[in-house]
Amino acid sequence: MGSGLEEGFEMLTAGLGGQLVGEQLELSEDAGLVCAARDGDRAAFGRLYDRYARMVHGIMLAKAPFTAVDDLVQDVFVLALRRLSTLREAGSFGAWLAAIARNLAKDHHRRSAPEEQLAVDVSEEEMEMRVSGGDQEASANLVLDAIKTLPDAYREPLILRLVEGMTGPEIARRTGLTAGSVRVNLHRGMQQLRALLSPSPGRPGQEGPKS
Amino acid sequence: MSAGNNQAKKEVHAMGNDYLWDRSGEPDPEIQRLEALLERFQSHRPRPAFPELAPATRWWMMLRQPRWVLGLAAVAVVAAVCVTTVLVYERKPNRDTAAGWDVSVMEGTPRLGRKAVSEKEGKSRLGVGQTLETGPQARARLRDEEVGQIEVDPGTRLRLLDMGSGLKRIALDLGTIHTFIWAPPGQFVVDTPSAMTVDLGCAYTLKVDDTGAGLVRTSLGWVGFKLNGRESFIPAGAACLTKPKAGPGTPYFEDAPSDFRSALTRFDFEDPTPQQRVADLGIVLAQARQRDALTLWHLLSRVDEPQRAQVFNRLVEFVPLPSGVTQAGILRLDQPMLDQWWNSFGFDDISVWRYWERSWSGATPPAIAK
Repeated sequence: MGSGLEEGFEMLTAGLGGQLVGEQLELSEDAGLVCAARDGDRAAFGRLYDRYARMVHGIMLAKAPFTAVDDLVQDVFVLALRRLSTLREAGSFGAWLAAIARNLAKDHHRRSAPEEQLAVDVSEEEMEMRVSGGDQEASANLVLDAIKTLPDAYREPLILRLVEGMTGPEIARRTGLTAGSVRVNLHRGMQQLRALLSPSPGRPGQEGPKS
Repeated sequence: MSAGNNQAKKEVHAMGNDYLWDRSGEPDPEIQRLEALLERFQSHRPRPAFPELAPATRWWMMLRQPRWVLGLAAVAVVAAVCVTTVLVYERKPNRDTAAGWDVSVMEGTPRLGRKAVSEKEGKSRLGVGQTLETGPQARARLRDEEVGQIEVDPGTRLRLLDMGSGLKRIALDLGTIHTFIWAPPGQFVVDTPSAMTVDLGCAYTLKVDDTGAGLVRTSLGWVGFKLNGRESFIPAGAACLTKPKAGPGTPYFEDAPSDFRSALTRFDFEDPTPQQRVADLGIVLAQARQRDALTLWHLLSRVDEPQRAQVFNRLVEFVPLPSGVTQAGILRLDQPMLDQWWNSFGFDDISVWRYWERSWSGATPPAIAK
């Protein structure tokens, strides 16, 4: 634990910026909570839950039907609790948990009946009508469906940002991705979402994730 | 300036500190509307009661009971015999518990060391020190829940060098791998015969040919390439060549004009005379677009001193100097100033690289040391 804090201090004195230091301190805190949870401290695991529940919920919402998401989130944490002893780097808890969530979402997608699966085809006319109409719930469903048609790389950060209310730096910190990739994918995903929701006839073509 | 340059400039500008990124700056009404609309999908379920873990402190209580002591003693004897047998007859890592990657066969029959593995066998394990070879027909997938996933193309040979807590290291001797890494930035390193590749988040493809030359293409996040103090940063959409002895070339965006890319390759690896280098540098500078700031920034430290001002003048046309950075500082290759200028390009924060580099830069990659 001490080394994480010392490294954080070293970076501060090296003038590398407060954000990175904050990230390192948070990783150290995570590591402490993971170690305590491994020793049977349920309160520590509860704090990890509080810290990461929004991330897991967002990842699940990006990949699974809304009605199944809460149960799947719980499954992810129960599975993580059982496997906690296999996590070699306690500081990588977020990235590890995100991987479990993605895998569980994939399993759910494979198992679920076709009618429960994601792809919701909505005509452009219907989309425009519903988005501009007064029915908030229908509009919300439509926007969520539109986000779910975007490539994976854009879908997840957009939902974490727009639904879960996380900031870009927070998404990067929690998921273990770099700030740069999260920023690019948020930005491009938003561009595509605007194009999808735009009422104008000649919508711009979509740009895929960089590959 | 072309429409493409304008678009790139707009994108770099739009990715600054904006409302979408961290709620700083002027609020975007459309994003605010979407936030309000989608808020309903947040979870309001209270924290569940998690099943209790078997606390590590309880096991000793069992030792108070004699039958447990006898049972454990018997188990210990059997275990000792088994361990000794395994150590004597099979000096190789345990498939299930040793640090390593799970290997699943995607196609054909790859080889793990001397052993051929087939799809029927389910998952195998690539342990530290072992080699995976796919041959001309086979493909395989490596996966570790904490690190990421690597797809291995036909004609590839790779070795697992390290699976330690802070560093996961693979040597790619030949062939092609496609990686998607979710371990924290800086922990996953691939050695090639001509450079080290350091994952700084996400996804890339790495190829090594039979001369030891390599090519990295980044699809998400960014990647660092390094050999003997020469380093290249390759963000999503960019690529970089590396050659034995020369090390990493200058990174470029793959949509750059072909004349630009050809001149850059000649400049990096082929030009035999200073005059030819100057001529090719001229082509690169003339054809550079806004987003080729990536390439020009790297060139600052790679051109001969007389040409550095030319590169500076072209780069500053695309990206103005941030406050506190001076022309004189850049021309004398002041590292903090170069880093500060890089950070204003909108790619990734270079301090991530500087920080993580410290954790592995001391070690000479075995693949290169050979």
